[in-house]
Amino acid sequence: MQTLSTDVLVIGGGATGTGCALDLAMRGIRCILVEKGDLTHGTTGRYHGLLHSGGRYVTKDPQSATECAHENAILRRIMPHCIEQTSGFFVITPWDDESYGDVFVANCHRTGVPVQEISVAEMLRREPALNPRISRVFEVHDGSADSFLATHSVALAAREYGAEIRTYHNVVDLVRVGDRVVGAIVEDLRSGERIRIDCTYVLNAAGAWAGKIAALAGVTVTVVPGKGTMVAMNHRMVNTVVNRCKLPSDGDIIVPIHTVAVIGTTDVHVPDPDVFGIEPEEIQFMLDEGEKLIPGFRQYRALRAWAGVRPLYKDKDVASDRDIPRTFKLLDHEERDGVSGILSIVGGKWTTYRLMAEQTVNELARRLGNTQPCRTASEVLPVPRFEHRAHAMVTVSTDPAAQTPHYWLGKPLALVESEHAAGDLICECELVTRDRIVAAIDAGAHNLDDIRRDVRMGMGPCQGGWCIYRTANLLYERRCADGLSHTHANEAILHFLQERWKGLTPVLWGDQLRQARLDELIYAGVLGIHRLRALAEPGGGLVTQHPAIATEYVQA
Amino acid sequence: MYDTIVIGAGLSGMLAAIGRAERGEKVLVLAKGHGATHWSTGCIDLLADVDDPLAGIAQLAIQHPHHPYALAGPAMIEQGIARVRAIGEAAGYPFAGSFNRNLLLPTALGALRPTAFAPATMIAGDARQLRDGRPTLIAGFAELRDFFPPLIAANLRAQGIAAEAAQLTLPPTQRQHDFSPVTLARLCEQPAFRANLGEQLAAYVRKGGYARIGLPAILGLKHATEVVRDLQNRAGALIFEIPTLPVSVAGMRLYQILEDELLRLGGRIQLGGFVQRAERISDTLVAVFSEAAAREQRHTARRWVLATGGILGGGVRATPDGHLHETALDLPLQTPDGRAGWFAPRFLNAHGHPVFQTGVRVDQRLRPLDAAGQLVYENVQIVGGALAGYDPIREGNLEGAAIATGWAAGQA
Amino acid sequence: MDHIELSLTQSLDHCIKCNICTSACPVAAVTDVFPGPKYVGPQAQRFRHAAQPVPDASVDYCSGCRVCNQVCPTGVRIAELNARARAQIVAERGMPLRNRIIARSGLVGRLSSGPHAPLVNFTLNFAPARWIIERVMGIHRHAPLPKASTYTFRRWFKRRKPATNGRRPQVVYFHGCSTNYYEPHVGKAAIAVLEHLGFEVIVPPQRCCGLPLLSNGDFPAAQSHHEYNVAQLLPYARAGIPIVGTSTSCTLTLKEEAPELLGLHGDDIRAVAAGTYDIFEFLRDLHQQGRLRTDFRPIERELPYHPPCQLRAHRIGRPVLDVLGLIPGLRLRESRAECCGIAGTYGLKREKYQIAMDVGKPLFDFVRASGQDLALCDSETCRWQISGATGVATRHPIEILAEAYGLSV
Repeated sequence: MQTLSTDVLVIGGGATGTGCALDLAMRGIRCILVEKGDLTHGTTGRYHGLLHSGGRYVTKDPQSATECAHENAILRRIMPHCIEQTSGFFVITPWDDESYGDVFVANCHRTGVPVQEISVAEMLRREPALNPRISRVFEVHDGSADSFLATHSVALAAREYGAEIRTYHNVVDLVRVGDRVVGAIVEDLRSGERIRIDCTYVLNAAGAWAGKIAALAGVTVTVVPGKGTMVAMNHRMVNTVVNRCKLPSDGDIIVPIHTVAVIGTTDVHVPDPDVFGIEPEEIQFMLDEGEKLIPGFRQYRALRAWAGVRPLYKDKDVASDRDIPRTFKLLDHEERDGVSGILSIVGGKWTTYRLMAEQTVNELARRLGNTQPCRTASEVLPVPRFEHRAHAMVTVSTDPAAQTPHYWLGKPLALVESEHAAGDLICECELVTRDRIVAAIDAGAHNLDDIRRDVRMGMGPCQGGWCIYRTANLLYERRCADGLSHTHANEAILHFLQERWKGLTPVLWGDQLRQARLDELIYAGVLGIHRLRALAEPGGGLVTQHPAIATEYVQA
Repeated sequence: MYDTIVIGAGLSGMLAAIGRAERGEKVLVLAKGHGATHWSTGCIDLLADVDDPLAGIAQLAIQHPHHPYALAGPAMIEQGIARVRAIGEAAGYPFAGSFNRNLLLPTALGALRPTAFAPATMIAGDARQLRDGRPTLIAGFAELRDFFPPLIAANLRAQGIAAEAAQLTLPPTQRQHDFSPVTLARLCEQPAFRANLGEQLAAYVRKGGYARIGLPAILGLKHATEVVRDLQNRAGALIFEIPTLPVSVAGMRLYQILEDELLRLGGRIQLGGFVQRAERISDTLVAVFSEAAAREQRHTARRWVLATGGILGGGVRATPDGHLHETALDLPLQTPDGRAGWFAPRFLNAHGHPVFQTGVRVDQRLRPLDAAGQLVYENVQIVGGALAGYDPIREGNLEGAAIATGWAAGQA
Repeated sequence: MDHIELSLTQSLDHCIKCNICTSACPVAAVTDVFPGPKYVGPQAQRFRHAAQPVPDASVDYCSGCRVCNQVCPTGVRIAELNARARAQIVAERGMPLRNRIIARSGLVGRLSSGPHAPLVNFTLNFAPARWIIERVMGIHRHAPLPKASTYTFRRWFKRRKPATNGRRPQVVYFHGCSTNYYEPHVGKAAIAVLEHLGFEVIVPPQRCCGLPLLSNGDFPAAQSHHEYNVAQLLPYARAGIPIVGTSTSCTLTLKEEAPELLGLHGDDIRAVAAGTYDIFEFLRDLHQQGRLRTDFRPIERELPYHPPCQLRAHRIGRPVLDVLGLIPGLRLRESRAECCGIAGTYGLKREKYQIAMDVGKPLFDFVRASGQDLALCDSETCRWQISGATGVATRHPIEILAEAYGLSV
């Protein structure tokens, strides 16, 4: 067995783990990060994309609110290419308690969350689709964030600082010598090979899976996997984040992100972060709630539904999962459980990932005798190559605002226009060109789902109708010299179609049902992919169906 | 006042309209837009996964007496297809194949797809010929994002066909970008473009001794047969087209020859006319109203053919709360019980998804019935994908069932 | 933006990306500067944000012919989405002088028609003048410009002696700019036919319908024209008096284009829209009610007829074929060409002239191949384009109808 050695082994390639890896590497601490799937495979890749202003927590979780407000300003600075400055509204609808408005404002002031009341007329001028019966509107600094891209940027920076990041590496065991954890055995899911990684500290940043990792060290960490279901709508009926002004509950937020508007979320305790379903009632409930914010909401086209599991840490008895604080906690297992060499970072949310990493690495650095200060709040993150062109400066106007390198919705369109690349779009819905797909493949994407997360391929209205076929072919042509065979390419298509289907079925009606039928015509009718099932098998680094990374949706 | 108004311009609607127009009737085809023909392969699928389609259909009709094939009957299947073939022949776009033995034609992924009749431009791709041991070249253009020779060739090789892949160099053209199948089809009708293509193919044949060359189905819109003949002469090998993703050039050709035929027979086609409600007197459909600028347009006819398709064609639509409705005349539908029964857990499940068998239940003369089995309209016939109880995509009878029922409505 | 207007944007949700529109688009067929209706329409729309810079300009190459709307199997209002997107470009980047001028057909017509028209026409026929106009203004030197009339239709109408014999049902005639300034004979034929059928024809004050402004993206000016026209026409619409027009584009604008694109959905706007008819649509209705006189003289001819895009956008079928089909001996051969290319003012523009000529080629071939010296078309700009490209004379079908009734115009 190959043995590697490092100072800190980070487990988990979500926002927190990757953030920790960067912070460690920036301070000169050697680290290896292992992730059983692709980066953002877990909760980071399955959330609604809200960059919190803090407004949602001002009443029930003031510490989180303050942390969010603080981190919000930092993230806008260090990852401008990942964040859209949409602004956010908290609105009081006829279904909400009028009196909460004043409480909300007072609590915003108390927690340092910037807030300003605007008139309903102003709200309607800016967002004409919103319910005109809304009575009060408070504007906050909400935004939307591309958590895939952000995590890739953080990982890129971490690698530049010397961190080693290994995706599709599953931790199968932790090595314990007496009461000390000294390393881990990990399996490379692509080759099946096992590797031993010796380390001074293991950092458990596995989010909703943190309890499973802790158990390998013989300690108990209770993480309540709180399932949140979301629905992406086909286009942005609002360009501002819209929250109901009330205590957080189900279906009370709409986040415009990239080309879609996401309505979320539910909060359902599930026993296992890998096994959960999307219930039809959850979808219907969210459509009903959406109707309160945007009249006619049901008539808009829903693209797909998905669920993520919140990594809520439960350290005392709390009534409902929504009452668990959204703040994070660093667990020192030596002090807590008498097992040294391992720390767990649990709880928290995407917006505060950097702060979580900072405090975690402060502690690790202290123990390792490293005195370097944290610099993650000031260093601007690099842009991954597959994204670089999409975020290149595109001059479309004499307006200086258009010269910004920051994210704006029209940028991919402006880029395709300037390059006359309309005929070279592989994913037509999300305007992903052949060059960007190839760059993602060359940057190491292992399967179609990795490419999807990297460049949004297959995430638009047709949900892969045309681009799955095209992308699988590009993957094959690019990788066949490295041993990727036709059987792997066939498998990639079959698997990805099935993955899309899981998220589609809960929202199939109207145009999306028609689209699904057209996709069936394409794949079963025109291409006859099902006739190639005997010529399909995983391999060639595809790792699409390994039990360690499969999420089973339970049929409702 | 028309004798017959056909609602829907897909294959079934066009066949019904041609049949009525041939009898000297005044016929209008009223359609929201272009139909599913544009999305299909341009072949005529009768029944997949059987050796003998006609025998398979007879079997199917016994097992499922309400299947569209059972209702149309074998005579209508054979006559309808004969009529389409005659139209193709007259238009210089002949179809070849057989009722008793499926062809197996390569798809744009290299799968082998059963179909009964295919345009002459595709016929040399039949797997039985390809397996003769002589080398086949699969060639495309890097600029075309809907056709990738390497994977097609690799999959064909895995099925015992000596296939190799090549990317051709796009012949010089005034166009700089955006080489969609339709654009390339237009370019192939330019002699200089085609000559260049032919030279490249000839060079490959000289080098690799290919007996057959598979190209994407882009070989001309109006004169495909001539384009293929010309390229075969230039290349010195047999050429066959492989259908591409929608919009399919071969599907467009099929639609075009049917439209030409209907207009030649004096029929009318009105596109952009979305039928949204009906006017009845007892069990007679008197008029329909189509959406138009500022107000609806009222259309009257003695008899009607509903050919709006199923969920894909737009004849059936589902609401978010799980109801399915027929969009033009609000006819009763035969649907699965409850939304929970709509889908199978696996997308490519062998039997498809029950929701896609939603449609209108009909009597032996294809007239609509309600849930109690009572006739809804005595002067309306339902054809093609709007019919209940079959899944044309998964059964592999998309064109066959449409032609058979359409032709039956055109004759009755 | 009110809620109905939102529904136009919402129509992009119907797009299933099938590209049927792109395969039918006559502009995308002849040029690659236009990436096609699906691309610039429902696809690009998901990337447009009212408060952010306009990311794309290629939508300006959409001619607005609406073939895409017609073939779309799912009901996306592609052409309207494109018109909106163009208006956003104009609002952000301003409008070139050339477009300002050609979009004001009323003003241009008023300045060029009248006793001085021969001089204007001479100048516009004079190659060096056209060369200068192309260089300075960007109007292509070969683009078909109409000949100004020496008198206006309104002036003729005001001076004539109306036929009055007892109480007759009334009808309002919307003549539009072209009839008023360039082709008063079309209006005269319409008046003759309507009076022959027993109507009293009213011609209220009217301005340009605003379509050239809409298609060039000047929405504020179009709105002021539309509101003026609605105010003039409303009393008649409310009284149930039909408003008929010989220009298919003017009637389409009153019915649908202006209300939809400008987001005007008040009761008055709706009432005028619902009371407006293309003249052949009106005549076909009369025939269905048994009120159309059929005392036609036979016309033994076979003539090519092009149903213009603007008529097809009414979504009312082919009323000209239905009505002229009643004339004994007359056989119309319908063109199946998608578009003549001119699309109002599109084909006048220097950078789009060749595209327009290429788009129109199948139609020009059809007209030439007919061997006839006359072609029919309901839309004025299409007639000028067809005649300009083929040298074949063109007439409005109402003129043939007047002839069949034996009316001297």
